[in-house]
This record gives sequence, C-alpha cells and structure tokens, in this order.
Amino acid sequence: MKYYLGIDIGSVSTNVIAMDDRYNVCFNQYIRANGQPLESVKKGMTMLKDAIGCEDEDILGIGTTGSGRELAGVLVGADVIKNEITAHATATLHYHPDARTIFEIGGQDSKIIILQDGMVTDFAMNTVCAAGTGSFLDHQAERLGVPIEEFGDLALTAEKDVRIAGRCTVFAESDMIAKQQYGFSKAEIIKGLCTALVRNYINNLGRAKTLKPPFIFQGGVAANVGIRKAFEDEVGEKVIIPKYYNVMGAIGSAILAKEYIEDNNIKKPAFKGFGQLELEFKPTSFECGGCSNMCEVIRVISSDNEVLAVWGDKCGKYAGTSKASKTAGR
Amino acid sequence: MKASFPHMGCVTGYKKLLEKLGHEVIMPDPPSQKTMELGVKYSPEFICFPFKVMMGTYIECAQKGAELIVSSGGAGPCRAGMYPDVHQKVLQELGYNTRVVVFDSLFQDFHAFYEKVKIVKNGTPNYKLLGLAKFCYNLIKKMDKLEKRMKIMRAYEINQGDFSNAWKDIVKMFEKCETTREVNRTYKKALEIFDAVPCRKVEESQRIRVGIVGEIYVIMEPTVNKNVEEILNNLGVEVENVQYISDWVEHNIVPQWLPFPKSHRVFRMSDKVAPLNCGGHDKENMGWVYDFAKRGFDGVVHLMPFACLPELVNLGKFPAISKELNMPIMSLSLDEQMGEAHVKTRLEAFTDLIKSKHFAKQRSTIGDAIGLKAQSAARKVGSKAQEVKDNLAPAPHTPAKQLTK
Repeated sequence: MKYYLGIDIGSVSTNVIAMDDRYNVCFNQYIRANGQPLESVKKGMTMLKDAIGCEDEDILGIGTTGSGRELAGVLVGADVIKNEITAHATATLHYHPDARTIFEIGGQDSKIIILQDGMVTDFAMNTVCAAGTGSFLDHQAERLGVPIEEFGDLALTAEKDVRIAGRCTVFAESDMIAKQQYGFSKAEIIKGLCTALVRNYINNLGRAKTLKPPFIFQGGVAANVGIRKAFEDEVGEKVIIPKYYNVMGAIGSAILAKEYIEDNNIKKPAFKGFGQLELEFKPTSFECGGCSNMCEVIRVISSDNEVLAVWGDKCGKYAGTSKASKTAGR
Repeated sequence: MKASFPHMGCVTGYKKLLEKLGHEVIMPDPPSQKTMELGVKYSPEFICFPFKVMMGTYIECAQKGAELIVSSGGAGPCRAGMYPDVHQKVLQELGYNTRVVVFDSLFQDFHAFYEKVKIVKNGTPNYKLLGLAKFCYNLIKKMDKLEKRMKIMRAYEINQGDFSNAWKDIVKMFEKCETTREVNRTYKKALEIFDAVPCRKVEESQRIRVGIVGEIYVIMEPTVNKNVEEILNNLGVEVENVQYISDWVEHNIVPQWLPFPKSHRVFRMSDKVAPLNCGGHDKENMGWVYDFAKRGFDGVVHLMPFACLPELVNLGKFPAISKELNMPIMSLSLDEQMGEAHVKTRLEAFTDLIKSKHFAKQRSTIGDAIGLKAQSAARKVGSKAQEVKDNLAPAPHTPAKQLTK
C-alpha cells in the first residue's frame, strides 16, 4: 500500500493521518501536544508506522498545516506546507462538496470559512482574543470540575436557559460564579457557556457575512454536543459534523500533497524517512543584534550540529545558512 | 540644526532635502519592536497605532540629539490632525528640547505654511529652495517608480530575496547622488540591475494581482505592516500599493479640480458610496478599490491601524462593495500586538482564495478561445472581460480591430 500523510500541528493538539491514493483515511491520531509539538509529531509518526506497518518508500508525499507547519515541515520533509484555512476547506469539500459554511473551532483559534461552488470565497479568523475557542471551554470545565469530555452531554440535560457573558474568559468566570450563587444547576450553567461561546463566535467571525446551509462544524470542539446544539439553535438549521471532524486539517493537507505530487508529476517525495525522526532536534531562538529590528530568529539544529532551518529574520541574513530554504506556500 | 523625521517607507528623499538645507540629519531607524514599546508607553492609550509608532521614533531621535523633527500632517477631521501638538507635548513632558514641525496643506493656510518653511529652510534663499525641491522631487519620483516596478517583478523572482537585496543596493546608490543628472543615471542603472535578476516567465493570463489600500502610514512602512508586500510577492502575487510619497505630494500640490494626477480622478470615483471624506484617506481608498476592480485585479488587501476611524468607516462598507464588484477584499487591523505568523497565515489563505477564483474563472472559459483572449485583452485595457467578449463575439474574423478600440 502507498500512503499520503497529513500532519496538523495546532496549539493544543497534533494530528497525524495517513490516506491511501483513493482518499481513504487508513490511520488517524489526535494527540494532545501539551506544549511539545515536536515530540508529539515524533510520537504520532511512530504510532503511524506501527499501526499500518509501512516503510519509507510507501510514503508518496506529506503535507503539513497548522501553526507549527513550518517546523514540522522541516522535521519530516514535507512536500506541501499550507495554511489551516485552505487545508480545512479542502478536506471539507472532499467529504461535503456542497458545503457553504464551515465552522472550525480549535484549541486557540477559531475560523469561519464561506464556500461557494466548491471554492473559498471568504474567511475570518479570531484575532486577539481566546473567548470563542476551545481553550475557553477547557478553562471553564476545569473550574466547574467537569471533565471536558462530559461537558457537552451535561449541557443537553439542562432544563432552563441562563445567559452568561462570554466576551471575556475572566468575566465569564465572574458571571458564572454569580449565576451559581443564584442557584442555577451545573448543567444549566454549562449550557449557558456553550451558548455564550457560539454567540461570541458568530458575533466575532460571522459579522457581515451571510451564512448559508449546509453548515459543517469541525475541529476538536465539534466533539462537544452542547456546542453543536447551540450552533443549531443559533443558525436554525442542521449542523453536520464530518466523520473525521478532529483531524480535518491533516486530511486537507494530505489531499493537497496528493494533488501537488500528481499535478507536478513528482517521483521522489521530500520525505526524509522514519529514521530521521529518531534524531534529536533542537529548536533554538536568539535575538539578532544586527540592526534595530531585533528579530527573534528561530533555528532548528540537529544532533550533529547541522542547521536544518532558520526563520524569523526580516532581512534574510540567515536564509542561506540552512539546508531547507524558506519555500512555504509558493 | 540636528534634524530628523519619522520613518515612513523609503526615506532617502527626506534625508537629501534636509541635508541640502544645511541640517545635520539624524537618521531614524526603521521602527522596531523596541520603538513600538517606547511609543506605546508614552502615548495616550486610545490613540491610533501610527501615532504610537511615530512617538517611539521621535523619542529615539530625541535621544540621539535631534532638535527638529519635520513631518507632514493631515489637517483633516481625523485624529491625525492633532498629532503635532500631542507629539510636541509628550516630548516636552519627557524633558526633550525637540521641536516638532508638521506641514499641513498649503492651500488651507498659506501663511502658517510659510512660517514653517522659514523654520526648516535654515536661511536658504527662496530661489535655491525651489531648485532643491525640484531635485528632491525628481529623486523620490524616480525611486517610487523603481519601487512600484520591483513590487511587480519580485513576484516572479527565482531566488527568493534577489530583488530585496538589489533594492538595498539601489537605495545606497541614490543616497550618493548629488545632482539631477546623477539621479537620472542611477535610475537607468537601477533598471538594468532589475532586468538582470533571474525571473520566471509567466503568461499574462496566469498573473495574480493584488492592490493594497489603507491608512497611509501602515501601508507605506513595511516594518509596521509586517512586510505584507514582500510576503505577497513571495507567494507569487503582484502587488500595487496606492500610496507613495511622490503621489502624495502631487495629490496635495496640484489643485483638486484638475484631472491629473490620477489620484484626483480616483478620489471622485467613490462619490456614489462615499460622498464625504471622513478624515484620512478613506474616500480615496474606496476609489482605489473601484479602480482595481475596473483594471481586473484579483483582490484587495486593506490595512488599517487598530481603531482608525476613517478606515473603520471603509471596513463597514467593504462587504457590500466586495459583493458588488465581485472582488475579495481582506482587511487586516494592525497594532503592536500583531504577530507576523498571524499576518502570514491570513495572506496565504487569501492568496489561495484569489488564485482558485482566478483560475476557476479561466477554466469556465476554456475551450472558448474568445473568452481567453477577451480576458487578457480586458486586463490590458482595463475593462470587464464580458464587455470585450461581447464586442468580439459577433465579428470573430476581425478581433484585432475590435481589440484596439
């Protein structure tokens, strides 16, 4: 069997998937990164190797996406390094070609993607605030002492509605305490939080956009049935959750890698082999004092002191000093 | 006097002018994170972002001993109108003996304008001043022309960074110029340098073009807008910026009722949706959006400082305009918190969006040779592809004649 791999390195999780050349997902793994993206990529790749038993030459191509896409791209040797929006839209369009609106809520970002005729026509991403993302829920679940996995189901058992201010994580908390003191049950408060998140999401990202069905909801938060219910109440339509909702970004990047490899007729992918993963990688950063910009330059150094990648320099002073040049996106 | 100025885009012109007027020029550094931190610390909290960055630059210049800071102002109803006084006040409170001189429109109050000229001209006689102004104008005009050209050609460079490096050398060459003749010679040499850079050949129909509109300071200063233009160029997109210092000078010196420069016409193009100017360049920017759509651009990137009032007015109008013109517009609101990765991700996604739109439009006309021809012809003459196609369709045996029309 030959496979295309997709890796999505987000702020909270790292997702690794393998897809055969007929777009069937053979392996998918959602790993909580706990602040160690590189370790989790290694872990994911090892799990993948063990699970489907493939060798280096079985890999036809790799795509990476997410906020750590460049770092992971260097680590594994990616053919395609793409932004999250394109990756998510590509995956969704594969499963639901008629999709018009994608809600994607991840750990630290949330996006809305508007599609028409199988093309992205508009998109928005949250900017400076974490309200309206998975971290907001995580934080509140922790405070209430409810495991995040049970959060959604609990919300569905609520009988009454309670309005909780969801603009800011900190103020939501004080509002929640007040509502607890009024005697609302845990389930009702959780439902209120779900509604607050969705309201915030729609106000922030959906502003001035016409949202049309079919609606697709994906990202790690889509596991939460409470949020799904809140979305359905908000838009007044059924909201579809794709089968692989939590690894859609990775699937998208694998599809993009497949398209890229096939369109350009590439025989030898950039994949560096599973053996490469055994090596030690050390991302280091330093402040360049060359000019007043004081760029924070990030360098990935392998165990034998070879500089694998450099980025972050505004002037391009270090661009030529690494093996991999900056090729993202082209 | 030790004189300085805010860093905004290419500053060689200002430097030359002040030098020729006999000032000792304190060169401002391009705004860095440190500059912004300094500016944010000493600025009123809710003032616009450009004020804060300029404040930082002024403080840095004052620390280096600048006695005079020269800038141009916006005597309009937006907050830029109060920049000079507040900047002056903050500098004074910090204990710097630096004077801030800001030139407003010379038509509004010529007397005040001339008073400021007298401070800056440093005893230079008026007839000499005119010659100097002509020399510097020629210099910035030539440099802006080159910069415009670079932002188109850089999209197709084979080795990333070639053009940016060439540009750095060219700026150094211009800094050495003392006479108009030297400037013109350097200009020719610079063109040769650009032509020598290895580039990919890309067909007219495959080219992706993006226009940049927004608040003048953030669109002109690359360190403040996180180098939006270079990121787009590196993604293989041609960029056209609407603000250059030479254009700004022309726009403000040539009377409004004349049909040239182009910015006057563009200014009136937005009459329908923006009958009034709200302060900054909002009406003009709206006009440029219409102009870009007319010329068949694939998209517009709108840059605004966080909470900039005139651009906020535009922001509210853009969704409807974008629909009307069938052209994607992406707004980025910039402030000192903005991360580079953030800007890059959005620009990449935007580029993917306009690329797929561009090629889908083309695919729908594949097999239809007239359609393809019409599209590239339309891009050249700047009208809608459909109109040209309508012209072409009834008389397919004489397309050449129709095209030149």
